[in-house]
Amino acid sequence: MLPSNIQWFFPSKSSEAIRLIRKKGFILHAGGTKILEPEPRGSVKALVDISGLGLDYIRAAGSTVRIGAGSTFADIVEFCRTKEKLILLRDCLSHAASNPLRNRITVGGSLNAFPMWSNLYAPLLALDASVEIVGARSGIYPLEQYADSNIIGSKHLIKEVRVAETKGVITAARTFRILRFEYPIFTIAAALGIKKQTVRSARIFVTGVRRKFARLVSVEKMLVNNSLTDELIVKACDRASMEFVQDYRFSPAYKERIARLYLSEILREIGGAGK
Amino acid sequence: MSKYVNTSVEKVDGLALVTGEEYYTNDFTFDGMLHISVLHSPYPYAVIEEIDDSGAKAMEGVVEVLSFKNVREILYTTAGQGYPEPSPYDTVLFGKVMRFVGDNVCAVAAETKEIADLALKKIKVRYKQLKPLLDFEASEGSPTIVHDKDGSFPKIPVFHDPAKNIAAKVEADIGQFDNALEHSEHRLDHTFYVPYASHCAMEPHGAVSYLDRRGRLVISSTTQVPFHVRRIVSAVAEIPVSKIRVIKPRIGGGFGGKQEVLLEPIVALVTWRTKRPAKLVYSRKEVFVSTRTRHQYRTRFRAGFNRDGSIEALHLDALENSGAYGSHALTVLANAGSKTLPLLNKIPNLRFTGKGVYTNLPVGGAYRGYGATESYFGYGQVIDMICEETHNDIVEYYKKWSIKSGETSPIFRALGEGKEGVAMNVTSTSLNECLDLGARLSGWYEKRKQHAHSAASDERFRRGIGMAALMQGSAIPEIDMASAYMKMNDDGSFNLLVGATDLGTGSDTVLAQIASEVLDTPVEKIIVTSSDTDHTPFDKGAYASSTTYLSGHAVKKCAEEIKRQILVVGADILELPVGELEIEDGRVVKKNPGRNEEVPAVSLAEICQSSLYQKRQAQIQATASHVSPKSPPPFAAHFVEVEVDTATGVIKLLNYVATVDCGTPINPTLAEGQAQGAIVNGISYALFEDYHFSPQGILLNDTFGKYGMLTACDIPPITVKLVASYEESGPFGAKSVSEININGALPAIANAFHHATGKRLFRAPFTPEYVLSVLEGKKERRSPR
Amino acid sequence: MRAEFTVNGAKRLLDVNPNETLLQVLRNGGFTEVKSGCQEGECGACLVLLEGKPVNSCQVLAMSVGEKRITTVKGIGSLHAPHILQKTFARMGADQCGFCSPGMVVAAYSLLKKNPKPTREEIASALDGNLCRCTGYVKIVDAVARAAEELAKEGGEPHV
Repeated sequence: MLPSNIQWFFPSKSSEAIRLIRKKGFILHAGGTKILEPEPRGSVKALVDISGLGLDYIRAAGSTVRIGAGSTFADIVEFCRTKEKLILLRDCLSHAASNPLRNRITVGGSLNAFPMWSNLYAPLLALDASVEIVGARSGIYPLEQYADSNIIGSKHLIKEVRVAETKGVITAARTFRILRFEYPIFTIAAALGIKKQTVRSARIFVTGVRRKFARLVSVEKMLVNNSLTDELIVKACDRASMEFVQDYRFSPAYKERIARLYLSEILREIGGAGK
Repeated sequence: MSKYVNTSVEKVDGLALVTGEEYYTNDFTFDGMLHISVLHSPYPYAVIEEIDDSGAKAMEGVVEVLSFKNVREILYTTAGQGYPEPSPYDTVLFGKVMRFVGDNVCAVAAETKEIADLALKKIKVRYKQLKPLLDFEASEGSPTIVHDKDGSFPKIPVFHDPAKNIAAKVEADIGQFDNALEHSEHRLDHTFYVPYASHCAMEPHGAVSYLDRRGRLVISSTTQVPFHVRRIVSAVAEIPVSKIRVIKPRIGGGFGGKQEVLLEPIVALVTWRTKRPAKLVYSRKEVFVSTRTRHQYRTRFRAGFNRDGSIEALHLDALENSGAYGSHALTVLANAGSKTLPLLNKIPNLRFTGKGVYTNLPVGGAYRGYGATESYFGYGQVIDMICEETHNDIVEYYKKWSIKSGETSPIFRALGEGKEGVAMNVTSTSLNECLDLGARLSGWYEKRKQHAHSAASDERFRRGIGMAALMQGSAIPEIDMASAYMKMNDDGSFNLLVGATDLGTGSDTVLAQIASEVLDTPVEKIIVTSSDTDHTPFDKGAYASSTTYLSGHAVKKCAEEIKRQILVVGADILELPVGELEIEDGRVVKKNPGRNEEVPAVSLAEICQSSLYQKRQAQIQATASHVSPKSPPPFAAHFVEVEVDTATGVIKLLNYVATVDCGTPINPTLAEGQAQGAIVNGISYALFEDYHFSPQGILLNDTFGKYGMLTACDIPPITVKLVASYEESGPFGAKSVSEININGALPAIANAFHHATGKRLFRAPFTPEYVLSVLEGKKERRSPR
Repeated sequence: MRAEFTVNGAKRLLDVNPNETLLQVLRNGGFTEVKSGCQEGECGACLVLLEGKPVNSCQVLAMSVGEKRITTVKGIGSLHAPHILQKTFARMGADQCGFCSPGMVVAAYSLLKKNPKPTREEIASALDGNLCRCTGYVKIVDAVARAAEELAKEGGEPHV
């Protein structure tokens, strides 16, 4: 619950927003879905709304797609409808939360706050997205580094996410969710660079694990420089270890088992497309 | 030929609902209204040693704090049932002993909801924690006694032994069970579990109250039982009945969850003491935890049967987790037997034993299906097992062995609601037609063959088809009463005043249709006013599948008396004998006129004007009450085809067919809607819904997102067909339809799963992880989560 | 404090606290057709259109709305001039308790604006943020499909 005397600011420039959020108790407001989660927020003094910063753009610039942090999931799904290279993002986001929530959840908020509904991290990590931030530690960071560091939570503003379209990269993802409208239990996304039926590069990520996300490095290693045979896929998936946690419904062992199954399906799908 | 019944007229409140015009409890606000928040116990079992509310009271805007310090601890039951209630008096509004996480500690009334919420945080409570009892199977005789010498007592002479944690006990014994079991050719013995569930009515529970201009207390609330609310608020808040008016506005779904008097006494006390309007609306979390739930159940079935499939002996032993209080504990338990065991009425030796036990967990209550859902899970599978073992087709089996018109079951007499039941014959059933039609629509025989080898295959995805036959009741016989009042207006329209409570089921419309049919007058001319204790006559409320059958009958009687009066006036005007007259299309006309005769006729408007202003002046008006001597069961057959993913344990429903005998469907569209809604609720209870508690008794999945609600995207193709029968004791042949169809999904899906995989599911919900453990033959934990 | 909101085409001065959601402000302002079922963005009873897009009004802080157009179910059609969707909902039994109906109508209206000839799957998908416990959704999907047909026959755009 936010205090009733909270202040609102509507800056029109990023620099102004940055100046404001340096103050104690000042936080950014984009879509608001995270801020409205039922948690005590008595220490929040002001909300700095970023809707005036013009960050709700998505544009393709050369081989890079730039997604402004204020873009909503619905905006991205709409944009990706015809973009073959971003099909992974579309697949993950088009079923995240619900229609009305996808109209509010923003990329920036989702990357910064990891809300339960979000299903953004795994596909973006697999796509090797980078994040441009301003404010504390301005710069462009690979998303993997951004997510893994303690930049999250510090006083900064995500300006945009960049996804480069790389030739020869094939992607696939699966989300484990029993019902249409429930929190994703986990998501696995993979992007493999395949040339002449040989895996040249691999990025495989899973979210819904103990530490926000995990990169399946050992699986990637087994795949790179090899051809995606059924035998290799089985071996690689057996090797995949993911630190799932017990939740109120599922044991870690069950989740890992399903994750391995999904991983094998993803790899077969990519293998099939790579032929 | 009926004109207004068995016709899908639009709901009388339909357009007002879908345009957002109608008011629900939370839509009422009054000048100077106080907002109430309730502090709930964070511990499953604790004694409050001290409440320090000085911090809250010192806050600006806090007006009143209610707790045991200033509210007398009066024992009552929150169950909104006929008086004296069959549920034990074991609850107080604000007690010193907290019996579950979510129990009421105290309530704060403040100028705004925000202040009330903040004030809760300023209340310091010192608890002495006690060792909680969280496993209902360990409850009976546990050293932890949930109601330890608290004075709780049954209001009627029934078994109640709080020292042993027994909230309720029900038994019936017909024939010689033990002997028959021993001499049967085959025997089986299986135990089944169903979990807690929340009703998940979209509208949360709420109540708002104010004093009218003469100082009487007016309460609007989300209730299924306005008259029981008036009586119980009077008792608990110590306000005379004559000073209380209860109004049910539109309510956003009930399903039994609002057959409970929880919030009304709190707003009543605040308004009565402060003289100011007051509102309390629960959050969704509070609805999940602190209102009422479906009882968790363990059912054990022991059966002895012969090679031909005939059952010699059947014993259903039910253990019900009543939770912290015994609301509906006895009656849900009795219905667990009385709504299942008569279905196959030719079993000569029947035993039912049931206990409801206290635990330090959320409180059970009425929930659509009311014990039957809990029992049909095992019952429907046991019949499937017997059919499998004796090579009977289950559809043919039900056709042969189920109760027929003109037949009875000794259970009807043996199991009542807090007293002996009522012996009755079934006089209407189309169950066999339902079975045939359902088999045809679901492709039963083809699919049984087609999937016959699924269980033995090593395919990842395996398909199967299963079914279950069902019955329920229609009203509680010789206990519950409904009444109606009608009067006629100048233009030939009528006011119909009923205590009956439309929860969204469309009962206002159905009752208007019944009056329309009697008076051969369009539904638009029947102005329905319902559920206002000042203005409408008594009705027990909306529960026990009774509104159409029972309240509808009262309306029919009432309309018939109105008709009689109309015909008398008509006879006077037309100068013809009453016996030669009939009402037709809003006019009184001569029956069977001669071929070339000009039909003598007088409009209803003229009749009313004459009686109001001209001759033999009197208001055409009538009232009628109805109590049913029986509870005719509706019947249904449910067929489900499933696909089991043996790699993940996910059960996907491919098709769901339900054929339903509700007698005459007064409004077929609304009856279908009742069935479809109940089916989807049944599916989600079978597959997803559950209460997950921490070891401290805290509910972990108390939001829709975590609880597992189906959306429009998650439902299989569902076909509902109504197969009418004609029930002589019901209005225009009607029985009931609201509850029965929630009972089918559990057994039908489990049977389909068995057809697909050869394995049995003994525990709901059928979560993927549990299903996988069953497929792989893992030994399961004894005690439920 | 009071702030100006554009609701159903009219400018309205409504009481607003800076920590309140759009749901609270609308309901306190008399727009009780916007229902509150969970306040967690999970039930969809509070759906309104914000600049033509459905949002959970409980998940929108009112102060962030600014000049954006808000449409409630009454802005789509009223008792005296109901929208075809509302007529088909009422006629076909898609409304039981009616508590989810305003949100359902808002979501369905938004769908038909974008996609006048939706399949049943597309209808279900568009309603993925709207829970209903009464109907089992069957008649709701039926009613949206019928409304789409009738709108197509009229050759008309939804009239708002």
